Order: sequence, then structure tokens, then C-alpha cells
Amino acid sequence: MTDLLRVRDLQTRFFTQEGQVNAVEGVSLDVREGEVFGVVGESGSGKSVTALSLIDLVENPGRVTGGEIWLRDADLAAETREDHPDAVDGTFVDLLGLPDRVRRGLRGPTFGTVFQDPASSLNPSLTVGEQIAEAVEVQRRADANPRSVRSRTQGYGLAKFLVGGAVPGRGYLSEESETRAVELLEQVGIPDPAERATEYPHEYSGGMLQRALIAQALAGEPDLLIADEPTTALDVTIQAQILDLLADLQAETGMTILLITHNLGVIARMCDRVAVMYAGEVVERGTLSDVFERPVHPYTQGLLGSIPDLDSAGERLQPIAGNVPSLLDAEMDDRCYFADRCPKAMEACLEDPDERAAAGSADHAARCVLTAMDYGDSPPLPDDHFGNGSDGDSPEGRGTDGNGGRGTDDRTGGDR
Amino acid sequence: MVSDRTKRNLKAELRESALAKLGVALVVLVLFAAVFAPLLAPHDPTATDPKNASLPPLGFSTTENRTTSQMVDGEIQVVEEEVQVNATASHPLGTDSVGRDVLSRVLFGARTSLLVGILGTALAVALGVVVGLTAGYYRGRVDDGLMRVADVMLAFPSLVLAIALIGLWGRQSIAIPDPFVRLGLAPEMPESAVIPGTVVVVVALVNWVWFARVARGEALSIRSAEYVTAARSIGASDRTIIREHVLPNSVTPILVLATIQIAAIILLESALSFLGFSGANLSWGLDIAQGRDYLASSWWIATMPGIAIVLSVVGINLIGDWLRDALDPGVDQGEGGV
Amino acid sequence: MSLGRFLLRRGVQGILVVWGVVTVVFLLRFISPGDPVNFIAPLDASPELRRRIAEELGLNRPMYVQYAEYLAGLLRGDMGFSFLRGQEASAVVFARLPATIELAVAASVVAVVIAIPLGVISATRRHQPADYGATLFSLVGISTPNFWLGIMLILVAAVQFNLFPTSQRPVGFLEAVGHLVAIEFAGPSVAAPLDVRAFADTLGTWLWHITLPALTLGTYFTALITRLTRSGMLDELGKPYVDAARAKGLPETLVRYRHALRNTLIPVITVLGLQLGTLIGGAVITEAVFAWPGLGTLLISSINVRDWPLIQASLIVIGVSFVLLNIAVDALYASLDPRVDYE
Repeated sequence: MTDLLRVRDLQTRFFTQEGQVNAVEGVSLDVREGEVFGVVGESGSGKSVTALSLIDLVENPGRVTGGEIWLRDADLAAETREDHPDAVDGTFVDLLGLPDRVRRGLRGPTFGTVFQDPASSLNPSLTVGEQIAEAVEVQRRADANPRSVRSRTQGYGLAKFLVGGAVPGRGYLSEESETRAVELLEQVGIPDPAERATEYPHEYSGGMLQRALIAQALAGEPDLLIADEPTTALDVTIQAQILDLLADLQAETGMTILLITHNLGVIARMCDRVAVMYAGEVVERGTLSDVFERPVHPYTQGLLGSIPDLDSAGERLQPIAGNVPSLLDAEMDDRCYFADRCPKAMEACLEDPDERAAAGSADHAARCVLTAMDYGDSPPLPDDHFGNGSDGDSPEGRGTDGNGGRGTDDRTGGDR
Repeated sequence: MVSDRTKRNLKAELRESALAKLGVALVVLVLFAAVFAPLLAPHDPTATDPKNASLPPLGFSTTENRTTSQMVDGEIQVVEEEVQVNATASHPLGTDSVGRDVLSRVLFGARTSLLVGILGTALAVALGVVVGLTAGYYRGRVDDGLMRVADVMLAFPSLVLAIALIGLWGRQSIAIPDPFVRLGLAPEMPESAVIPGTVVVVVALVNWVWFARVARGEALSIRSAEYVTAARSIGASDRTIIREHVLPNSVTPILVLATIQIAAIILLESALSFLGFSGANLSWGLDIAQGRDYLASSWWIATMPGIAIVLSVVGINLIGDWLRDALDPGVDQGEGGV
Repeated sequence: MSLGRFLLRRGVQGILVVWGVVTVVFLLRFISPGDPVNFIAPLDASPELRRRIAEELGLNRPMYVQYAEYLAGLLRGDMGFSFLRGQEASAVVFARLPATIELAVAASVVAVVIAIPLGVISATRRHQPADYGATLFSLVGISTPNFWLGIMLILVAAVQFNLFPTSQRPVGFLEAVGHLVAIEFAGPSVAAPLDVRAFADTLGTWLWHITLPALTLGTYFTALITRLTRSGMLDELGKPYVDAARAKGLPETLVRYRHALRNTLIPVITVLGLQLGTLIGGAVITEAVFAWPGLGTLLISSINVRDWPLIQASLIVIGVSFVLLNIAVDALYASLDPRVDYE
């Protein structure tokens, strides 16, 4: 299988009033065509921001400040080679080197996105059918013109909105798009789709809404479906149905799925390969069996230890002590960010660990000193090492090295 | 009734918002002008001075056609000449068509506006809160009856109703002695301040409904809150519950609404004065109405009091925004300007 | 509940409110000082003449009888007779109504056309000069008394630069339309229909005269709607569905207008419904500034001479229009927001 997407050393930062927040700090991952790739982590680990960075929807005051996002798209590469030669490498295109207009055009036909909370992800005052038809229509209109001459507004503006509100049939949508929307609703298993297309989001149940959102994401026939916590807001029985739906759709269309979740059960059920994120970094990655059966990083081990396992009933679940660290640049120092919660922390952890290959498949790697040394090679840290405000004791936080964090390149050792 | 947290929010918002600071500054300025008008004003605002009529404000000059008659060779000759009229420092904002000092009238006008604004709002709050709390707390028929009355009140635009009431009832006003003049501090100023009494009553009558609505809403929501049920179960009387629980919770939204209503009532008062439906002798609206007839020759007579209205109302609206942002009560704005 | 039933119910409520309005207007005469006969009878009228006038007007009968007759008259479309003008009150009022409607509609059009784009620009270019300008304009706009604004417009546009007339309404909008379509209306007769040139001329004259009054009345609403649109857009643009709309590839104009603005307009319309009274009250005073021959100037002059039938008729027409406008706003609101279950 070939790579569809190669993310290299992605950095996304938020410049807030409290200071600079390093939400995504040097993330690298490869997503292969036709696979389900899972990103797992606690809330605040940077997994959703990573997804938003891919589709260029990081909100102010956030910005992607560094890294590369290489997408394999032969047509796009051919079209952009002339204007942006630096952003093209064979059939791959670096999205961060493209103008906003082109990146916006990728939302839909390249990236389809399903967000976490279906109830608030649809506009309450438009029918579900209209909203899906919009997603169809925007592609239909875009395809009518070559990428270079596509209109930024597609001829839609304030006047059109007001006229469309007053005169039926003079709005944005075409009849073809509305028919296609009904087909899509049928495809995601909504009964009586023609009828339900005319209903508003508040008339749908949570599971139905998520199906509708998936239909909307499918409207552009995306190469990569980004599903950001697609089941979190749903109750358990509905969760299973939605996951089944995603699996069926993938089998049918062969599309690639980037599945973001905090739920290891979902990962285990769906994914081929996994990346575990913590504090804006990928701390361990590999195939499903690498990560689930031979976890190296104590954080991954801790996560796995906190899932109930029917085979070992009676054993106590082990929560990971402590909280996700602050991602404020000023409070982050050059060390393993998990060390303060790590049961195996040792003095070697006070230096930033590189990513190293670990036992298992060729993909398996972890950002932990334990991949290279045995526990005991370095003196353990005293329990109270992080106890009294050591977070702030390093005045030189990461990323203050003057070149926007480029100096951290050496940490992405496993670059193939 | 004002918690420490509320005070902190108010201070934080005031520190952060330049507009809130501007609002406070403007309102302090207008209050100062209103209170100390007799000490600040350079002239008696009611004293006419035909020799110094229609003087322009400082920095401007106008021309005026004067006819004079002279005895030349035993015959009366009428001479018409164009005279340049210059501003004088003793009338910084100029004078009106009968020579009254515009600045003094603007300063004294602040008194009428603020008095009507504050008294009218206070009366409207009293009326609205009593009706609203009663309706919301007892619900049922009392509520239905009172709210239907409110609907009918709302069916008349407030200015129209006010014009009708004042036009028909007459323009009573109350003169209260000016303390500064009594104490001999400002002997040349008018002896009493005139409050247009009918106007105060009428603006309260046309605006109480907004307060009734807010108070009713608060009473309805608090009534069903669990702690009120608990208070009732231990035998608290209706009166105690209203006083101890419902009233304190309604304070914030009513305070914010009252601020905005003071601005609205100042605008309403000026409109009534402009139309001649007031009883005040010193009012910005009245001066604008008088200046309107001299627009072509003396633009400042109508312009200056208007600027005073805009500054006061901007100031009060900014304070309203500040309170709303800091206290976040989520109230309707109510009927605004004219 | 369907929209039809909703409107029916609001209609019934409206009728009750109108009945209340009529009652209040009727009672107004009894709680006002002054004998209505005084304003009709000559100063030296004998007691006998005064008695006969009172009898003629039905003023000597019990109040409830007068009330019943008044209601019955209204149901027949009879609003009384203005002795001072020697005309039916309804004829006078309805002759004045078009002028007021034109003014209110023109002001609303000015407000909507300027305010919505301004609010959107202000919200989408936050903390840029355009935003500060719009914010300042809306702050001053809601704080300026419109009679003073009108006078200032007259001072600058009419007196100084002589661009617009200071007052009067020589032609009505319907007279202009009358050049295109044959319609019956009260006013001077016009040439045969389908005279495009005459239509354009008349419309031009009408526009020329209504510009300043419409700006005067419209400024407060422009400022208010700008303010509401700005804060509403800021709210909406922060909601997840906006991101979701962008994620499906919609151009920013569609996200802004088709999605965010649509939801912004829902609360804007609610507040505007509450502000209709300000529109009508503002129209009254704008008419006074520009000598615009509408209901407002009629009401003021009738109050000054205690022409009771006209006072009552204009108050009732104002009250009824207000109730109708409110129902229209509710219907508009319901059609925009699918979540309203018409309760």
C-alpha cells in the first residue's frame, strides 16, 4: 500500500492572552491508502488540532507554524508544479505551501470531515437535505471549472441570500444536488430518506444526525475521511452502529479513514495502524498489534491498563495518576512531558527523548528512553521531583530558540 | 445585594474596556454640569439681552443685515448694512435669538434631562417591579389580567402615548428652590428649578411595562427554583420569599434595564419638549425647537443642545453596555430612542 | 401546530388587544379635562345651544351607551365626524396613512440595506478600522434624537448645500405608480396609465423629498441593526456548525450568509419586533420636523385643538397597525426558525 498522506514535524500553536500554547508539537505520521489510521489520546493531547491543521481550519488565535503536510494527488501536483515548485515532490504536494483558495478546494473532494458533536455540527435552521445538498453542490460547481479559474464565491453573496430567501428556486442549490443528497442519506442507512431530507436537525436523533453528517462528508467523495471523535457524543448501542457504518462504507468505497478518538475500544475495533498522542506529540506509533500487544511507552501501557478487560475480571483498573500537562510554552521545558506522571520516571527522562524504533513491525516506534535502555540503567527520579512547582523552573521553554521551533528537527529521527 | 464577585467583575470590565471608561467620564461630566449648573453657568439662562442676540460661538463669525435710521439733513434715512458679528468670550457657545446664553442653557438643560430621566425611571421601576413580581409570583388570573393590560400598553408606541397623555392632561410642573441660590452662592441665577411633573409621570406610565416583563420573568423562574420550594416548605410566607429570594435575584437585570431606560427617557423627554409637550422652561429639546427657526442664520442655537443630548445618551448607553457585559443578565433592550 | 393556525391564534389575540386599545382610546376622553363641547361651540354659545350640541353628539347619554355606540360605529367603519374639519374622521386618517407608511417603509429599507452588510463586515473584520467605524456609528446612531438629526440634515443638506428640499411631500408613491397602472387613490388626478416618463419623473420627485426624512427615521434602526447583526454574527461564527460548513468546502460567502447570517437574523427580528413602537413614535416626530403630512402631524394638530374624533381615529389606526406589524414579525420569525413550535 502506498502513502496517501505524510505529515512531517507539524507544529500548531495558539497565541493566547495567557501566552503561547503548543497544541501540536512536531507531529509526524503516514496514512496509507485504504487503511483506517487511528489517533488516540486524552482530550488536550492535540489530536483534534492535528486534524484541523490538515484541513486548514485552525481558528484564531491558532496557526500552523511549521512542518509539512504531503498529500499524494497526481492531478494537484501537475497543476501546482508551475506556481509553487517547492510544494511539489513527484506526485506529492505540500499543502502548507499552497494558497488558501486551493486548500479550501480540498475540503470535500480530498478531506471529508465528521465532527464530534452531531447536534451542533449542523445548522439548526436549514433542513438536513439542504445541508447535504450544499456539500454536493459546492463540488458540482467547483468541478465545472478548472481549479485555477474557480470563483471564490461561486457567485453567491448577500444579495443572492436575500433573493433566495424571498424567491423560491433562486437560491444556491440545484435539483440534482438535492436528489443526490437523498441518495447519500439512503447510503448511510437513514430510512425513508426523501422524507427525512426535508426535516430539520432538531427532528433527528443523535445517531441519525451522525449518519447525516457522515452522508454530508461523503458528498464530496473524499479520499480521506477524517472522523474526529465520531461516537463520543452518542450512547453505547448507537456507537456500535456508527462504527459498523464506517466500516461498511470503507469496505464499499475503499476510502481511507483517519479516526481520532480517546476510546481505545474504538481503535481496537476499527484501526489498522495507530498513533498515540500526548501533550501535542506522538509518543508511540505502530500497527494495532504493536501498540496493543507490545506497548513500549509507559503512557500507552497506562492507557491500556485503564480499559476494562473481561478476561481478567477482578483485577483493579489502573487509572493514570495526575493530569495532562499545561501546554503553555512558558511552562514547558525540555524533557519527556509524561515524566511527571510516569511510574518509571528516571533521570534520563529529564532530557527530551527522541523517537526510536521498537520491537515489532517496522512501523513500531516510541518516544521514550525505555525503547533503548532498560529500566534501571538510569537512577529513578524521587517521587517529589515534580511536586513543588518544577514546571516553571526552566526559564528557556521549548520553542523560544528563536527559529519558531525548527530547532526541534533532530527529534523526528525515524523519518523514512 | 451586590456581591464581591459582582464588584470584581465590574472593576475588571471597567479596567479592560476603554468604552466603559469613556461612558463613566461622560456621565460624571453631565452629572457635574447638572448639579453645579448655577455655579458653572456664566449667565442667567433665562435672561434675555437683545443687544447681544444671535452671537456666534467662539471661533466663528457671521454677517447680519442691520437697518439703522439716521437723521441726515433733517430727513430720516434708513440705512441697510451688512455687519460682521464676532463671538465674545463671555458667551463661549454664542447666544440665541433673544440673547440668552447658549452655554448656560445647555448646563441648566442637563438638570431637566437628568431629573426627568432618573425620576421617571425610578417611578417606572417601582410600578413595573410591583406589577411584575405580583404577576409572576401568583401567576394564574392575576398574571393573565396584568399581562393583558401590559399588552395593551405595548400596543401604543411610547412617544405616541406620551404625546396623547400630556397633550390632553396639560403640562403641570413643579418648581423647587435652588439650594445654591438660597445659600447666596449664585445670586444671579433663577431661584428655582422647574421639574416637568406631568412628563415624569407620563414617561413612567409609558415605560413601566418593560420592567414588569423582566420582573415577571425573574419571578416565574425563581419561583420554581428548588431553594424557594425549600423555603416554602419550612413555612416562609409569600412576602418573605419575595423579599428574601425573588427581589435580590431581579436586581441585576432590572439595574441594567434601568440604565438603558434612563437614556431612552432622556431622549423621550427631549422629543416631548421639542414638540412643545413639556412644562420645563429649560430643556435641550425646547432649545432645539427654538433654534430650528434660525437654522439659516444661527446654526448653533439648535446644534449645541443636540450635542449635549448625544453625549449624555452615549455616556449612559456605554455604562449600560458595561453593566451588561460585567453582569450578563440577558435582558431585552426594551424600547430605545426616538 | 401549523403556521395557519398559529396566525389564526395570533389574530384572535390581536383582536383582543385592539379591543383594549379602542377601550383605552374611548376612555381617554373621559379622563381628560375640558368639555368637548367647548371646542365646537362658539364662544358666546347659549346654554341651550351647548345642550343641543351635546345632545347631537350623544355626549349627554350614559357612558356605557356611548361606548356601545362607539364600538358599533367602528364595526361599521365609522370613526366619527370631525366638526372642525367638516369631514369623516376615517377619511382624514386614511388620506394621511400613505404618507406615514411610505416614510416607515423607506426608513426600514434604508436601515436593512445599510445595516446588515455593515454588521457583517464589522463582525468579520474584527478589530480593523471598518469594525471600529461601524461600532462608533452604531453607538452614536442609537444615542441621537432623531428630530435633532433631522434638523442637522436640513442644516447641512438643505440649507448649506441646497441638495434636498427641507420639507413637504408634493407627490405620493402611489401617484407615481398611477402612471403605470390604473389605480384608484385619493389625490390629484394623473394622466392615462403607462406613461413611463411621467412615472420616472414623479418617482424622482418623491425620492428627492423622502430622502432626508427616511434617513432621519432610519438612522436609529440602521445603528441598532448594525449592532445586533455584529454581535449575532460573532456569536454564530463561533459555533461548531460554521466549522462543519467550512469543512465541507463551502466558500466563505456561503458560510457567512447562508449559514451564520440566517441564524443571526432570527434574534435580530425578535428585537426589531420589540422596537416597532420606536419606529412609529419616530415617524411621528420625523413628520413634525419635515412637515410631512402623515398621521403624526395629524395627531399632534388634533390634540392641540381637541378634535376628539380625529385623536381617537389616529390613535386607533396607529394601535392597529402596530398590532398587525407585530403579527407579521411573528410570522416572519416563525418562518425563519424551524424550531419555533408556534406556541
